[in-house]
Amino acid sequence: MSRRVVVTGIGMVTPLGIGKERFAQALFQGDSGIGEITAFDTSRFPSHLGAEIRDFSPRDLISAKNLRRMDRLSQIAVASSRLALEDAEITINIANRDRIGIIMGTSFGPTDLKVHCARILFTEGPMMINPILVPNSVMNAPAGHASIELGFRGVNTTVNHQAASGETAIVYAAMEIERGAADIILAGGADIISEFLFETLVRFRALSPVNRGKEGARPFDAGRNGPVAGEGCGIVCLELMEHARERGATPYCEITGWGMSSSPATPTDWPADTRGATLAMMRALKSANCVPDGIDIIQAAANGGENPDRIEADAYLHLFKAEKTIPVISSIKGALGESFSSGGLRAAALALSIREGMIPPTLGLADPIAPLSFIIDKAKKIDIRNGLLNAFSYGGTNVSIAMRKVTIR
Amino acid sequence: MYRERVVITGLGTVNALANNIVDFTHALQGGLCGIGPITLFDTADFRTHNGAEVKNFNPQDLIPPEFPLKRMSRADLMAFAATIEALSDACLFPLPDALREDTGVVIGAGSGGKLEGESFYRDYLESGGRNARFSKLASLCPAASADHITNHLGLMGPKTTFMTACSSGATAIGFARDLIERRAAAIVIAGGVEPLCRTTYASFNVLQAVDPEYCKPFDKKRQGLSLGEASAVVILESLHHARERGVSIHGEVLGYGISCDAYHMTTPDIKASGAARCIQAALADAGISAAAVDYINAHGTATPANDVMETRAVKNVFGAHAYRIPISSTKSMTGHTLGASGALEAIVSVLAIRQHFIPPTIHLHEYDPECDLDYVATGARQVTPDIVLSNSFAFGGNNTALILGRFAEKGIQNE
Repeated sequence: MSRRVVVTGIGMVTPLGIGKERFAQALFQGDSGIGEITAFDTSRFPSHLGAEIRDFSPRDLISAKNLRRMDRLSQIAVASSRLALEDAEITINIANRDRIGIIMGTSFGPTDLKVHCARILFTEGPMMINPILVPNSVMNAPAGHASIELGFRGVNTTVNHQAASGETAIVYAAMEIERGAADIILAGGADIISEFLFETLVRFRALSPVNRGKEGARPFDAGRNGPVAGEGCGIVCLELMEHARERGATPYCEITGWGMSSSPATPTDWPADTRGATLAMMRALKSANCVPDGIDIIQAAANGGENPDRIEADAYLHLFKAEKTIPVISSIKGALGESFSSGGLRAAALALSIREGMIPPTLGLADPIAPLSFIIDKAKKIDIRNGLLNAFSYGGTNVSIAMRKVTIR
Repeated sequence: MYRERVVITGLGTVNALANNIVDFTHALQGGLCGIGPITLFDTADFRTHNGAEVKNFNPQDLIPPEFPLKRMSRADLMAFAATIEALSDACLFPLPDALREDTGVVIGAGSGGKLEGESFYRDYLESGGRNARFSKLASLCPAASADHITNHLGLMGPKTTFMTACSSGATAIGFARDLIERRAAAIVIAGGVEPLCRTTYASFNVLQAVDPEYCKPFDKKRQGLSLGEASAVVILESLHHARERGVSIHGEVLGYGISCDAYHMTTPDIKASGAARCIQAALADAGISAAAVDYINAHGTATPANDVMETRAVKNVFGAHAYRIPISSTKSMTGHTLGASGALEAIVSVLAIRQHFIPPTIHLHEYDPECDLDYVATGARQVTPDIVLSNSFAFGGNNTALILGRFAEKGIQNE
């Protein structure tokens, strides 16, 4: 008998707010988290917008003893983890702590800290780097801090693979629960904007307005001219269905399948065609035992990038060309920018959509590039049974996760 | 759920001892030391000066000319060279077109393109950002190594990168095993890569975790680790795919386990609970008893805390049998290759199984009284291990244990 995996909690620190209530309200209301960047001066760059985390006070969610050892990336990850556990109504104790774990994704890690260390290395000398900072400079620090602050001792690892890190973390967490390695795993992703990362993205011509037009995030829009940088952390609490049922939890949805694939591309480029994206979705549908026709909503990867949005739209046209009904396609990156390891946040958004029967609007989209079904102005209520969460990253990494409405009991 | 058995059909490595598997085997059997003065960057301002550097690494000698090497970092080149060797060993190079969709890549990484990133950043600081070439950062992300592999070889299977410091490589092999077991791929190129770089070297130096001479695992006078660099790649394949191809099988991935200390970011939990739990999880996953293990390739970093903790973990799990199992730390020869170490030591474990020997712990002369197990201190031992446990314990309290076995048609028989 196969072990089924459900989502029983979500937690997040985002430009749209901290925690589920504020996030859901802002998301379905159609609020935007994008504004002029305030953390540093952008006057020397052609891009000035960003989706920055606001009103986050880590002291509310993290003990002082551990907080003082954490950098900003770890803070948002640990706070989100606590919120996800609280939302799932799970209390860590001696009896359950070895069966609870975390799998985090991060694309760039603590770039602020790494650049600081490199600066000290070359200006003051290698032996002047503060040893307190060293443990935070590794990508797995957020997951390590979360385990110490929250006290769970089970499976713990960190995926670091471009803009598919968060989704891959969720896939791995579901696999670990399925094979019996854990009962509960927090999974998701976190990334932060630092001045150096922003400058690097600008220099790689990776941000709006790459060449032309007004700066802004416009997923799937004909006038799109690059993504807006975002930051945030989203964590979903994955749990063995039996375990959730025994403790009387109400799941948001079930993770029914997933597909992963690669497309040939260098680490900073996009694939030339739709094959990899289509392959990942077909693998997800197959493992979920679902047909394309059965999908009601797709939480898309599109961020307003010129090539990637085109390829993604083409992949949907291809996958659904023979179907009578096509799913509604939604991208929350119009509101939240491209936060790279956005998998946890987007999984949380999809879980909310499935539970509430509500699809958030794709902000910035006015003139769709393809005859697909989009929600443009305001959130729409529809009954959702099956959803797909897609990540299609530069470097050619594709992950598709199938999620389904569930009623246990 | 039906689970495919997962076997190892190819090996490849570039490390401080050798730039191929044959020479690496001889170096392990001879107990050679790869640790010496660092030449990749100037160490004058550091507290220590030694490391386990890859020597005479000429990518164009190891990588066929059809692959453009532009914009690949030292880490990417080391990983790709090991990939070519491992695929060739598995009779999969050139890879048949029909296998591309079903072949994945899972890499455990560490510093990625940091060595190149550091020179970029020095130029950036000197010129106030004007004369720095941002293209040097194209391969900065650790994920670049896996991206280059899939791009060069046209692969369309699952791909990802783990970054959990010193356990990345072992976790990569575990996850790759899972992908094949549940038929998400037939073949996975799995492994780890870690280049030496200034920031990593500085970090361990300021933590005072580096032995100024060379690391001396389990020795009373040990002062810390020796940082090293390496790439280590294994070809994992479903048994049934390997059988169909009629290829020679080096060993089997029997199981793995992951746990977390939830104790401290850099100091291992001295009670060894986390380490013991990941070993127990691996044994359970493999479906074997502790008594079945014939050799333990230790994490054995030679930091004062790790070696005592690891010894305790082994005693906690294996009881009286702990004293009968040969244990060695091959980091005494290869240095601690961080993100690559779990994969490099998986290769060492497979070589031990294939070539019937247990590699020694060199530089161990005077046992720490708290380290009283059989650490194979006096040269390689000629025995025939069938089942090997390989430990990796990382910063962040991330522990991964891998269990590798001699391939037997009937599977493992518990005594």
